[in-house]
Order: sequence, then structure tokens, then C-alpha cells
Amino acid sequence: MSTGDTTATRPVGSGPLWTTRRARRSVGDGTTRLGGGPLVTAALLVITAALAVLWVLPLVWAVLTSVKPEGETTAIPLRWLPSQWTLDAYHKVLAAGDILRWMANSLITATLTTVLVVLLSSLAAYGFARTTFPGRRTLLAITLAGVVVPPQLLVVPLFSEMVALNLVDTYWGVILPQVVAPAMVYILVRFFQALPREVEEAAVIDGASRWLIFWRIVLPLSRPVLAAVAIFTFISTWNNFLWPFVVTTDPGTMTLPVGLTVVQGSFGLRYAQIMASTVLAALPLLIVFVVFQRQIVRGVAHTGLSGQ
Amino acid sequence: MSPISRRAVLGGALAVGAASALAGCSAGAGLADDGRSLRYWDLFTGGDGATMRAMLDAFRAEHPEIDLEAVTLQWGPTYYTKLAMAGAGGRAPDVAVLHLARLPGYAPAGLLDPFDPDLLAEFDLTEENFPAAVWQRAQYNGQVYAIPLDTHPYVMYYNVDVCREAGLLDADDQLIPLRGPDAVLAAFTAAKQVTGAYGLVTETYGTDGVNPWRMWWTLYRQLGGELLTPDGRDLAIDDAKALRALTFMQQLTSSGAAIREADGSGSIALFSSGQAGFMWQGDWEVTTLLASGVPFSMTRFPAVFDNASAQADGHSLVLPHRRTRSPAQARATYQLIAFLLRHSVTWAEGGHVPAYQPVARSAEYRALRPQSLYASVVEELALDPPVWFAGSASTLWLEMGAALSPVLTGRATPAEGLAAAKAAVRRLLATPNPVQ
Amino acid sequence: MAPHPARTQPTRRRDWSGLLFVLPFLAFFALFLVWPLVLGLGTSLTDTTLAKDGQFVGLANFGEALDDPVVWSSLWHTLLFTLLSTPLLVLVGLVFALLVHHLTPARWLWRLSFFAPYLLPSSAVSLIFVWIFQPDFGMADGALAALGLTPEIGWLSDPAVAMFSIVLATTWWTVGFNFLLYLAALQAIPDTYHEAAALDGAGGWRRLWTITLPLLRRTTGLIVVLQILASLKVFDQIYQMTAGGPEQSTRPVLLYVYQAGFTNFRIGYASAISYVFLGLVLVVALVQLRLFRSPEEAA
Repeated sequence: MSTGDTTATRPVGSGPLWTTRRARRSVGDGTTRLGGGPLVTAALLVITAALAVLWVLPLVWAVLTSVKPEGETTAIPLRWLPSQWTLDAYHKVLAAGDILRWMANSLITATLTTVLVVLLSSLAAYGFARTTFPGRRTLLAITLAGVVVPPQLLVVPLFSEMVALNLVDTYWGVILPQVVAPAMVYILVRFFQALPREVEEAAVIDGASRWLIFWRIVLPLSRPVLAAVAIFTFISTWNNFLWPFVVTTDPGTMTLPVGLTVVQGSFGLRYAQIMASTVLAALPLLIVFVVFQRQIVRGVAHTGLSGQ
Repeated sequence: MSPISRRAVLGGALAVGAASALAGCSAGAGLADDGRSLRYWDLFTGGDGATMRAMLDAFRAEHPEIDLEAVTLQWGPTYYTKLAMAGAGGRAPDVAVLHLARLPGYAPAGLLDPFDPDLLAEFDLTEENFPAAVWQRAQYNGQVYAIPLDTHPYVMYYNVDVCREAGLLDADDQLIPLRGPDAVLAAFTAAKQVTGAYGLVTETYGTDGVNPWRMWWTLYRQLGGELLTPDGRDLAIDDAKALRALTFMQQLTSSGAAIREADGSGSIALFSSGQAGFMWQGDWEVTTLLASGVPFSMTRFPAVFDNASAQADGHSLVLPHRRTRSPAQARATYQLIAFLLRHSVTWAEGGHVPAYQPVARSAEYRALRPQSLYASVVEELALDPPVWFAGSASTLWLEMGAALSPVLTGRATPAEGLAAAKAAVRRLLATPNPVQ
Repeated sequence: MAPHPARTQPTRRRDWSGLLFVLPFLAFFALFLVWPLVLGLGTSLTDTTLAKDGQFVGLANFGEALDDPVVWSSLWHTLLFTLLSTPLLVLVGLVFALLVHHLTPARWLWRLSFFAPYLLPSSAVSLIFVWIFQPDFGMADGALAALGLTPEIGWLSDPAVAMFSIVLATTWWTVGFNFLLYLAALQAIPDTYHEAAALDGAGGWRRLWTITLPLLRRTTGLIVVLQILASLKVFDQIYQMTAGGPEQSTRPVLLYVYQAGFTNFRIGYASAISYVFLGLVLVVALVQLRLFRSPEEAA
């Protein structure tokens, strides 16, 4: 078995990801697992800090631009700090109003997509992993083949289909095609297959139905991996561009990334305003990440490694 | 109790929440058809967008009974693609702005509905109120498909302070007309010495960058060149004339008289912060520049070659195809269009030359400075050939912009640029016409 | 009515109820994946446009696609993007993960810094980088100027450079995901490995090369596969940063599909190009399957 599966089935909170102290104990040099003296540690720290600064610089630059008066944004040579800090750009962007509506649209579509993906995928994965109806292997193989077909490739026929279903410019039009997530089914199939069968078998002997076993035993055991699937479905749906871009034409139904690209709410010189709306667009998930950092990082471990 | 019922409650709550959210959405998804609410789309992302907002607000004030929803989509292929897709998806707005030269690509495809002559007459939107050449372009198959709002030529903006210091102004503080390539280059170079940064700024590359096409088409038409044969089926580029225009374009940037690399908003930012003496751009940046406080004026594009033609297109208002349109809805729609035309002197403040003649002839318009200073260009317009792939932000423009931009940025010779341009046009001519 | 229904092979029984678990997903799968796949194939044999249903034209669209230089150039751009971005995204992810893994002080801060961009919508990333890549007053030129350099790089205006700029922006944006995968894999390596090696007197670098990296092979295989599939689908950031320019030098095949189908109304032709692209994706997927297939995978 791969090392990843041990992580995947390890109870919440006990993964080595979170026990920095263990590293300390085991290698014994205090701060780095690479060994080496304090000099190596210091060097690594400097390198990492430099890279981290480089990595956040674009975001800092966006924030700094957004709080400048418009006239200072294009100064040559470039000025890093505004001579006078102003939230003017934010006032203008929020007054235009659309950005909050797009956030709401993103929230609604991403939430519904996530709920449906988790529900449909876990049901299907359980069916594939734990039951033996005829044709199971064929259907599983077809589902897995779906992993290779990028949904982006289907935008043209999908749009025609949405026209026929009269779903252009509706939330369902945005949601439904995104609900099909064969990769998530695959991840969950692998996870369910690795669960010990004993508990379920005991329940079967007690006369519990499959549904009851699924709801009361399997799902609670799978909470971490389901959370991972949910988190990543949510992030990718929230940020998905191409499909919502194709299927929405009315700004009233556009999601945040689409509205930001397609609609222009202000005119003239507007670099500060563009950066202000960019910062506003980046904020929701950044806040979510800062708050749920541990769960999200662990989520990656689950989706990624249990797929090994 | 048991976890199941807790989950059931939670799931139920979620379902109710979702259902109500979606119900709210589907209520908005039905198209209004009672004449009490209108959806309007435009692509005015330049300074003219603010002007249009003001006009729409005026309409709202005059017609409180109509709920007007106005949207500005990103200029260019994004807008035109969305407009067509909305039509195909049955979700088109009631009124939309369309460049007149795009009509041959939209009307034959069934993406637009024709105007009703009776209603047009009732609102005074008739032939005699428009310039003949423009009105003729608004027809397809003997029916009116577009109501022209304006003509917007390619013009020259200049910084009054910079040009005065460079000795380029006359006693009335007007730019002394520049004639011939040498005079133009000399003026830009003189301005560059004053600013210490740039002489001419203009878009030389960029996302959906079409300015190289505008510049070339202007210069090439000043030499009398044609793009296509009169039937629109074959390439008719005159190599010698095309190369003369391209060579001049390269000279502008290679001599340092013009900026070598700038995208659209970058060039506007440089001009409005006083770092350039001149800017070549469409006429729609007046509002932006007025707001920036830069001392500027505008004039016709200089006669670099034989005549003073300038590339131009025009905005018009069209009725995107709808499966149904009630008489009440139609009336409200025509009301909005007529309002915008009658008040197009406000529109002209944003830089465009009004198409509606009662406005164009008015003293009020003629008094506008600098907006009426270049109005005479309407007699020498370099319009697109009337084919499905032409018009503002069309595939033709994008392909030509891409082919000619490297001549300005110095990455291709004029001959290479011309070869790329011809290849692009040939490809378009060979493409099966999708709108027939 | 068997006396002991559940005793014998409780979960191995032929059991149609399992199908009920699978059906809801399969319904969506059929409706929104299989059906459009079939529909698209049908459409690719017609001259359907955005405005009207077309006539059957046989393989004419495929013939035109194979003859269309833009199809080939855009396929090449997609491939080029994949070839450039994949090694970068894998290597940078690995380096970041190794650094953060071996460094205990302020680990959450490093993790946040490297992962945060992954959370941004493509539109935000594109707007930020178009702004950074502005000639003269952009941050890229400004930072170089501060170092005394004025190389006049046409970040997004030079056809020879633009794709690299996009790859750079993409690396910044999405490397966080690979970084986290590596980090998780690193932390799943039991410390006993390192302790044993340390007792044998192996230094930090040697342990990295002889223990850590070999143990990450499976993870790397997975990340490479995921990354190639993701890179082949590139559209968002290119559409928003350059719209395929300058001089169409960055137009990926998905953008050409969009342009052919929606901007130029030729739905039939766009469908044909999609299928040409699907062919490419399948070839890549099959090659990957051969290269990375593991014995347990045959489940």
C-alpha cells in the first residue's frame, strides 16, 4: 500500500502534518529535518522567506495599487506606496453594485454544485465499491473513462443542449454540467474500498438496509474525505470560468470570475478600481483559507494521496 | 435523536433554501414582455460609457413607468459573441448597440429583428433624418435593421500646452494642420522634446488590439487603396500603396516619434498624465480626458498622404431577435431608441459625431468644443467593406491588428506585415459564410 | 424465503439494489457528459451555425480542420503551454514543499504564502498580471528598473515572450496545489527512515537524494499526470490576459474552438475541432497510462 493511504485513513488531527514537534524530537537538531547546523537552517529560512515575499508580492502590488489615487497608478518611475492612501476605488466599485451580486451568484452555484457532487459521487462510489450488481465493472470503467474527457471540450455541444433545455442564463444551467465529477467518484471509490468491511457486515447481520449502512456507518466514517471532496469542488466551482462564461449572458446570473471579465461597471482611467475589484474578488476564499487552513491542507492530502 | 433525522432536517433546510434561491432566479429568467421593463446592452467601455449612463438616467427620469436595466459588456469580440449567444439562447436584450459595419454579419443570420416602418415613422426615425450613406448601411433585404446613433472617426488628440511650447499652435491656440509624412513626424518629434517622454502615443499591441488596423486602414485609404473587389469576393490590396502606409507606420515608432509599445489603456494613461504630445485613438476618450484635467484638444486625423480620410465606424441601435415581442414591449423599445437619438447632443459630448441630423445641424452641437472640430471628417470616411467578417472588433480587425501590430513594435518588416495581412484576408474569404 | 439470508456471503450476493446508488450519478453522467459527446459528434458532421440547424456535410468539417493552419498552430500552443508549465509547476511545487517541510518556524506562514494564489479566480490573476506586465509603469519593469535593468521585455506584447509570461503567471497561480500534495506526501514519510539513515551517518543532502526523493516517486507520477491533464485544458488565463495574442501567438486550441463556434457562429466546425483535440487528449492519456500504470490500478 502506498504511504498516502495511511494518511487518508488516519483519524482527524493526528497526521504528521500537524505535529511539528515530532520532527523536533526525531531528528534532534531543533529546527530542520535536513540536519546540518544552525547555519543551514538560517540559510534555508532566508531562501524560504525570500521566495515567500516574491510569492505574495503580486498580491501586495494589487492592494497597493487599489489604495492609490487614480493619477498615481501610472507614475514613471513607479511609486510603490501611495502618497495619500484612499479607499476611493473601493467605494466606486462597490457603488457600481454588480460585484456583490456576482459573489452571491458564485456562492449559490458553488454551494449547490458542491452539495450535489458530494451526494451523487458518494452514493455512486459506495455502489461501485461495495455492491455487486450486474454490469458494475463496466459502468465503473465507463465512469473512470470520463475522467479523461475534459468538460471544457464539451462547451459547444453543452451550450446547444442548454439552449434546447432553455437553461441558458439560469443557475441550473451553470450548475448541472458541473455536477458530473468522475474524478471525485474515483477518489471516493478508492476510499470506500479501503474501509474495513467488518463493521458493515455486522450491521448487515443486524438486518440493517444498505441505505442505513451507507448513511449511518459509511458516511460518518468518511467525513474527512467527504470534506476534502467538498472543499475542492467548492474552490474549483467558485473559480471556474469557461463554462459559466459560456452559459451566462446576463450579468444578473454571472458568477464572480465571469462578471469581472465580461462586464465593465466604470469608465475612464480605472487601474485602481480594477485592482480594487480584484482584491474584493480574491478576498472571500482567502478568508475562508485563513480560517480553515488546517482542514483545507489536510483535504489536499486526502484527495491527492488517496487517489494514488 | 439519531443522526439520520438531524441530517434529514439539515438537508431539508438546505433544499428549501436552494429552492427559494432558484425560484427567485427563474422569476428573473422569464423575459418581460409587457412594456414595463427593458433590457439594454452596450459595449461603451471608453469614456463614452459614462455619457451613455447619464443619458439612460435621463430616460429613467422621464419614463419612471419603465424599469430600464442597462449593461455594459467588455468591448470587442466578448461583446459580440455574448450578443449572438444570448440571441441563440433566447435571452437577448430588448435593445442593443451594434456597430453599423457589423450588420452584414448579424442581420442575415437571423440574429436581429427588422424595425417596423410604421412605428419608426411615428417616432420620426426616418430616412430624411440621417445621412444617406449611413442610412443605406442600416438596411438589409429592403428592411431597416439598425437605427444609426453616431459616426466615430479615428482622430488626433493633442496636448495644448505641449504643442504650444513646441510651436505647433496658431494664434488661436489651434493646431496648425499637419500635411505630409515629414510634417507629421517633425511635429511628434518636437512634442517629444517638450515632454521628455513621448511624442505620439497610441495602442501598438494588446488584448483584442485593433488600433494597428485603424491606423493602417486610414493611411491606406488616404492613398486610395481598396481591400476587396466590389463584389466582396476577392482580395484587392494594392501592394505598393499598402507598403507605403506600413513603411510610414514603422517609421513613426522606429524614429522614436511614437511610442513603440503600449496597449490601449496604457496609451490613454500616458496621454492623460501629460507625458505625450499627441494621441491617435477613436473619438470616444473625450470624457476620460476631460476628467483627467489634461489640457487637450482634438482635430481630424492629419492628411499624411493624398487625402484626409480617416477610419470610421458608427454605433447603431438594433433589436436582437426575440421569439416574441408584444406591441407594448415594442413601443417601449422604440421610445428608448428615439429618446437616445433626440438627446444625442449629450452623446456628442462624449466625442461621437451624431447621426441624427436634427441634432447634427443644431447650434448646440456646433458649439461643442473640441467635439465638433472634427465633424467635417464625415465627408471622408474610410468605412469597412460590407462583408460578414468586417466591422468593429470583427475577425477581420483582430486578424489585421495581429498582422500589423509587429510592424509598429518593430518585430516585422512592412513587407512581412503585408504578407501576414493578405494571408489573413485570404483565409477569411475562403471561410464558408456562416450567416447565409 | 431462505432461512439464513444474510449469513452466506453478505456483501458478495448479486444485489440489484446497488444499482440504485449508482443511478443518480449515471443519469447526470449520461445527460451532461455522454450526451453532449454524442451530440457534438453529430453536429461536427453538419454545417450548423449559432443561428440555424445545418445540413449533413459528411466529413467536410474535419477536412477543413486538418487543412486549417490555425488548428495546428493552436494545438501547438496548447502543447507548448503544457510542455513549459508542467515541469515548472512540478519542480517549483517540490522545492517549496521540501523547504517548508524541513523548516519548522512559522510554517503556517510559508504555507499560506505559497498556497494563497491558488484560491484566486483566474480573472483576478489575469488582471493582476496584465497590470504587472504593463510596459514602463508595470511592476515587472519597475522592479527591474529598481535593480538598474531596463531590458525592455515585451512581457505580453512580444510573441516570443508572451507565452512565457503566461506560464510564469500560471506557475504563480496554481503551483500551490502541487506544493500541498508534495507537502502531504513528505509528511507521510515515517521519520524512522530518516533516523535510520542518520544513524548510518548520511548527511542531509544524501538523505534527500537517497530517501526522500525516491519515496516521492509515486506522488510525482500522480502530480505529473494531473498537471498534464490540467495544462492541456488551458483557456481561462490566456483568454483574459492576451485573448490569444499578440499576433495569435498564445491562442490555445480551446480558445479557437470558442472563437470558431461562438464568435464566428460555426458550431459544426467548432465541434469538429473539439474532436480533433479530444483525439490529442486521448493519445496523451494513453501514453500516460502506459508510463504510470501501477499494478494495483487494475481494480
